[in-house]
Amino acid sequence: MKIAVVGKGGSGKTTTSGVVARTLARSGRSTLALDCDSNPNLGISLGIGEEATERLVAVRDAVDAGEEEHASSADDLVERFGVTAPDGVRLAVVTAIQNPQPGCPCCGISPERLLGELARPDRVVVADFEAGLGTVMRLDGNPVDVVMVVVEPTPKSLEVGRRAAESVRESGLGRVVVVANRVRDDEDAARVRAAFPGLEPVLVPDDPAIMDAERQDVAPLDAAPDAPGVRALVDLADSLLKAG
Amino acid sequence: MRVAFVGKGGAGKSSLAGTFARVLASTGQRVVALDSDPMPGMAFSLGIPQTDAGLPDEAVEEYDEDGRRRYRLREGLTGTGAIERYAVRGPDGVHFLQLGKARGPRWNNTAQHYGFQRILDDLPGPGWSVVGDLPGGTRQPFFTWGRYARAFLVVVEPTPASLLTARRLAKLAATESAPRVVAVANKVCDPQDGGRIAARTGLTLLGSVPFDPALRESDRLGRAVLDHDPDGPTATAVRSLVTALRREMEPT
Repeated sequence: MKIAVVGKGGSGKTTTSGVVARTLARSGRSTLALDCDSNPNLGISLGIGEEATERLVAVRDAVDAGEEEHASSADDLVERFGVTAPDGVRLAVVTAIQNPQPGCPCCGISPERLLGELARPDRVVVADFEAGLGTVMRLDGNPVDVVMVVVEPTPKSLEVGRRAAESVRESGLGRVVVVANRVRDDEDAARVRAAFPGLEPVLVPDDPAIMDAERQDVAPLDAAPDAPGVRALVDLADSLLKAG
Repeated sequence: MRVAFVGKGGAGKSSLAGTFARVLASTGQRVVALDSDPMPGMAFSLGIPQTDAGLPDEAVEEYDEDGRRRYRLREGLTGTGAIERYAVRGPDGVHFLQLGKARGPRWNNTAQHYGFQRILDDLPGPGWSVVGDLPGGTRQPFFTWGRYARAFLVVVEPTPASLLTARRLAKLAATESAPRVVAVANKVCDPQDGGRIAARTGLTLLGSVPFDPALRESDRLGRAVLDHDPDGPTATAVRSLVTALRREMEPT
């Protein structure tokens, strides 16, 4: 199963990806978390910490600078630019680099195409993409199972999410699952539902425990596993598994 | 004054840039606010109802150079002229122009892209200030989209992810003959956050903006925080930022 995570910057894509990937791994699935953001921070949300996250990025930067060997295959890439995060999630940073070598399996293709080429039916891949609609455009021709469109209940974020969901559906890129973070009250819920008629968005309650965890550089799943916001993301992962 | 806001997605670039532009305009400056993020953002924080203030097709013409398709502003149209003609007038007299929005997977905004860049090379001069809102993250070569800026304000939240982003931006900035790059601490809860941000990014701290529930509320309502809470913590802090940057940019 391949899950692409998209949405506006700051809407909670990376936090959502982190909790979902770890929950999938806890259920016994072999799970690969791909950090496809050119500003990769998924390690922090998975719980490997700021320093380890920075080191992973440094390896990728070193390839860009010509100081490190390129990976020879997609699997080698996951090995070379990866680390094992809590719950056994394999995390790999696969962002596009400034000076890619055409045709190279580790940098000559976009992260979107790379996701398309990873082929292990037993593995779940959660790909955390860069903010904005660029990813949706580049996914064109590389369909996935699920595109998670992450939003906040603000007009800005809902507008980006609405455009993303529309494009994904028009192009048949995957099943759209809308995830609304920081939902505070019925008004917020109504605002989200109105933006995505017929899609039954997953509503994640606004939860200060998530912000507190991230400020302290601890994964929300470790700091506050029972907080309502974290629970909602865990339930989301379970429902993805059930839907297959 | 020519400034551009950068930082991690969600750090508060648009909110601060929009408020900054209006505060500057309310002091009598002529201000162009530029949103080079193809996602809707700055219009909301300026208090402008249109979220699509891009260049119309007629502003840009296609031409051929050695068999390659290129774009330029229509003949006779200067950057300043384009701003006078196509920028949306917002509250406090701010002129607002935005990179055309991407609409769907096969929607092409190449012409608008190049047209917008041509305008960046020919912005109005003396008597005008420019305030830019650049895309989030570190991918965008911010010296390209922000090449008009004399100062970059890196908006940083006191979170590891935001600090990491700021460090990357500081590093990118250090590799070129960079203009001034300073940090603005945002959503600050602890009075020591500002100092910590300066220490951990290596950037000079221009000022701090406190965590402000009114800002979150105005975001939810789709209103400018300056209209929602004109004398609240965000507005007050941004006024101080304007003063601090004026002092910082004064020739010594």
